[in-house]
Amino acid sequence: MSDGATPSRGGAGFQIRTHNLIGGLVIGLLGVALLGYALYTPNTTVPRIISALIALIGFATAMGLVPVPGPRDFYGGLVLLMLPTLALIASAELPGQRGFAFGPGTAPRLFSLVLAALSAAVAVGGVFTEGPPIEKYKIRGPLLVIIAILSFAAMIRPLGLFPATFLAFMISILGSTEMRWVESLIGAAAMTIFCWLLFVVLLNLPFQLWPRFY
Amino acid sequence: MTELLNHLGQGLGVVLFQSVYWLFGIIPLPMNVLFCLLGALVGTLVGVLPGIGTVATIAMLLPITFGLPPVGALIMLAGIYYGAQYGGSTTSVLVNIPGEATSVVTCLDGHQMARQGRAGPALSIAAIGSFFAGCVATVLVAALGAPLTSLALLFGPAEYFSLMVLGLIFAVVLAKGSVLKAIVMVLTGLLLSMVGSDLETGAGRMTFDIAELADGIGFANIAMGLFGFAEIIRNLELPAESRDIVQAKITGLMPTRKDLMDSAGAIVRGTGLGSLLGILPGGGAVIASFAAYTFEKRIAKDPSRFGRGAIEGVAAPESANNAAAQTSFIPLLTLGIPPNAVMALMVGAMTIHGIVPGPQVMTKQPELFWGMISSMWVGNLMLIVINLPLVGVWVSLLRVPYRLLFPSIIVFCCIGIYSINNSPTDVVISAIFGVIGFWLVKHDFEPAPLTLGFVLGPLMEENLRRAMLIARGDVSVFFTRPISAVLLITAIILLVVAALPKIRRRRDEVFVE
Repeated sequence: MSDGATPSRGGAGFQIRTHNLIGGLVIGLLGVALLGYALYTPNTTVPRIISALIALIGFATAMGLVPVPGPRDFYGGLVLLMLPTLALIASAELPGQRGFAFGPGTAPRLFSLVLAALSAAVAVGGVFTEGPPIEKYKIRGPLLVIIAILSFAAMIRPLGLFPATFLAFMISILGSTEMRWVESLIGAAAMTIFCWLLFVVLLNLPFQLWPRFY
Repeated sequence: MTELLNHLGQGLGVVLFQSVYWLFGIIPLPMNVLFCLLGALVGTLVGVLPGIGTVATIAMLLPITFGLPPVGALIMLAGIYYGAQYGGSTTSVLVNIPGEATSVVTCLDGHQMARQGRAGPALSIAAIGSFFAGCVATVLVAALGAPLTSLALLFGPAEYFSLMVLGLIFAVVLAKGSVLKAIVMVLTGLLLSMVGSDLETGAGRMTFDIAELADGIGFANIAMGLFGFAEIIRNLELPAESRDIVQAKITGLMPTRKDLMDSAGAIVRGTGLGSLLGILPGGGAVIASFAAYTFEKRIAKDPSRFGRGAIEGVAAPESANNAAAQTSFIPLLTLGIPPNAVMALMVGAMTIHGIVPGPQVMTKQPELFWGMISSMWVGNLMLIVINLPLVGVWVSLLRVPYRLLFPSIIVFCCIGIYSINNSPTDVVISAIFGVIGFWLVKHDFEPAPLTLGFVLGPLMEENLRRAMLIARGDVSVFFTRPISAVLLITAIILLVVAALPKIRRRRDEVFVE
């Protein structure tokens, strides 16, 4: 969203703006991916239509054909529209209502359809009413925090509590702009010991502490 | 009345006299009082840390109650809950950053008071207000428990379904921002709750053949992602903060007679408002504190004092959020319906200990029910005792820079989530919800209705299916049964009223302050 700070005004829809180019392309590609998944799964007429529409709207937005005065609502609604579409595809093969009894697939389809209608309404609201621009996304901090959490998940089983905690701490602290090495290393060591004391010594939770060598 | 006293007495008996023998088995220590104290202490400790809310605190500390007996575990969790709230207000007063969503409004006047050198009175009036509210709410919970439980026995599936619809509509109306978007969030939560095995047939739904999803998505994972990780990511985006901690030594903790006189009315009004909003499903402590502050400002003789260190501006919201925090136990304990995300976590904790929340808890496990209620009172008493002397400790905790704090919180959350099921997948799921929560906030979607939808989802679906089966597929059953009809019509009226332009403007006003 490089151009996120300047909102496109209501009438000026017919010109390409960077953030609509990127946002529209993302939406369009996700729509195509959904459509592919729907075509690959049988019995999915409704989600096929919805995902084709999402893809079309996405590419149209990227080309500047759709005015987006309220980008937060517009993109928010479109992305949330994909969730019920995905749910419709995923629950397509579940048996539905039999007689008076709901099948396992009835409620998911019911709620998906309502959610789809309402998220579409949110997106439409973004076309017709003016709203604040999307805040800029900063990449570094959030990305490193997520990497730290994921690497903790990856390390805790094979490597054990001590290395996983220490490394996750060090990775996430890289996300801060004011990181200092010595302080961070001490902090990581202290936190690792604290967690060991609390979870393993005091609470007796069954953690593996160090890497296991076979 | 005698019955009420009897019950409270029974509860206090459970809390005070079930003892463990400590130190070579000689000195009897009241075990549950210890759990209560420990919970309140740990809750305050985490609550003081800025940028981590009540929901994340409880999700994070859930594992430490695993080894305890059920009564003790729940008493401790309840202690953590109001400890976290109290800690939040300490941060609000001392630093201009709310420690919790419930104490956002406390910042306005509390921090101003601190800057005028009156941090002591601000903190103690918050504690006194909370304690008073806690006492009233405890009696209220005890008094309403029995009648509501007997009401619950009249409820069939159709009534339960309508009640939950009403609860979700309350959550929508009380959430900030657009009503439409809040409904979208509720539905998203409902849909997410359907991932996993179907309750009746066992068919895997929307699991994409991932084995870990067969049991559904754990609520603690969602809560940690949306309220813990997302919040941290968001804080990292902000420019390096300049925290202005009140540097002066805090002297004179006790409020003057004038302070007490000024805030007495505000405390009573805040308590009343908070108790009411807490019982409503979808309400809870956050909205109560906002409402109490707005109300005080509106009825004040000189509204311009607010925002410049008016003691009523601290007393009212603090009493209200504590009252609401406690009365929100009422729907959970009597009807088995969690009215907000915190109570949803309590459901999780109860399930881990093999307790099914609902009307049968009171009859089958009276010691648990009344013990928990009495522990609320004991817990509040402890908060007032431990917090004021420990203010110095909390201040030094606040001096730890955020760059060291946030990795610690992340690591702690990771271990907490992992230890619930010993499952790395749970950690990955909460990371995903962290990203989702971050994205939602960027697009002005509120995560709170989503969590409520997620929690009520399975209950709602189950009751809907049962009601339809009993009524032989006739949808009109929801309007022909009187209780159900009243509940649904109330929900519809609420929704219509919230959508009216005049009320909408009023709503926006309340949240802007």
